[in-house]
Amino acid sequence: MHPGESDPLGSPEQHGETALATEGLWHVVVLNDPVNLMSYVVLIFKKVLGFDEQTARRHMLEVHEQGRSVVWTGVREKAEAYAHTLQQWHLTAVLERDEAR
Amino acid sequence: MKHGEKQIVVTLSLPVVAPLLDIVKFAADRMQGTTAAPAALPDIDPEMKEAWTDELIAAQNADVRALLALFDDEFFSTGRISFRAANAEPMIRACAAVRLHLRSGPLAVLGDDVLETGEIALDRLEDPVRKAFMTYLFLATIQELIIQHLDETILEG
Repeated sequence: MHPGESDPLGSPEQHGETALATEGLWHVVVLNDPVNLMSYVVLIFKKVLGFDEQTARRHMLEVHEQGRSVVWTGVREKAEAYAHTLQQWHLTAVLERDEAR
Repeated sequence: MKHGEKQIVVTLSLPVVAPLLDIVKFAADRMQGTTAAPAALPDIDPEMKEAWTDELIAAQNADVRALLALFDDEFFSTGRISFRAANAEPMIRACAAVRLHLRSGPLAVLGDDVLETGEIALDRLEDPVRKAFMTYLFLATIQELIIQHLDETILEG
């Protein structure tokens, strides 16, 4: 997760070095779709990821203009939980391994 | 409803909206065994994948049922529907699901640009596509109403 953004499920650092060592870090990436309203996407980012209005809007615009936005980075288990919740809200959310780590 | 709970009551035109509900019902039937948005994950074992997808489909079906239940006897006698804390979340999720399904179904002929901007001459569309597109716009209007008036309720829920 980007610095300064809140994380309702806790920070990745709180979840053990073992998990990091065995699985590495994963990005939760939201992909653009032409259907979901901008206001809807902002609301979901605020609700699911705990973003403030400004951060939620920034990520929504990134999705809209660049086709994708990394909305969270951390251990696999929590990345899956976020992706699943975002999919419950019908956003196209995928996981990508953080190759930089 | 809890005392003091915020509620939106909307009066809709029955002759306009009632035919659109047939589209929603048809979509609801078609969506029962599949997710509206892609739900793939990498490196996931088949059992977990099945459980993952089944959970999404079950939640989606429950939301769409809640949306259809909104259009009850009262709606067909008064044209009124109401949104409140208890149904705001499932409503906007169900609207998103049905809109996504329409995109891959009857609205696939329109292209994503049209779906994103909503700009097209309705009278140039064939009747089934026109009805599906009007349903698509109607569901977006419901979403906008809920987000505009009940966003705090949803965020607190």
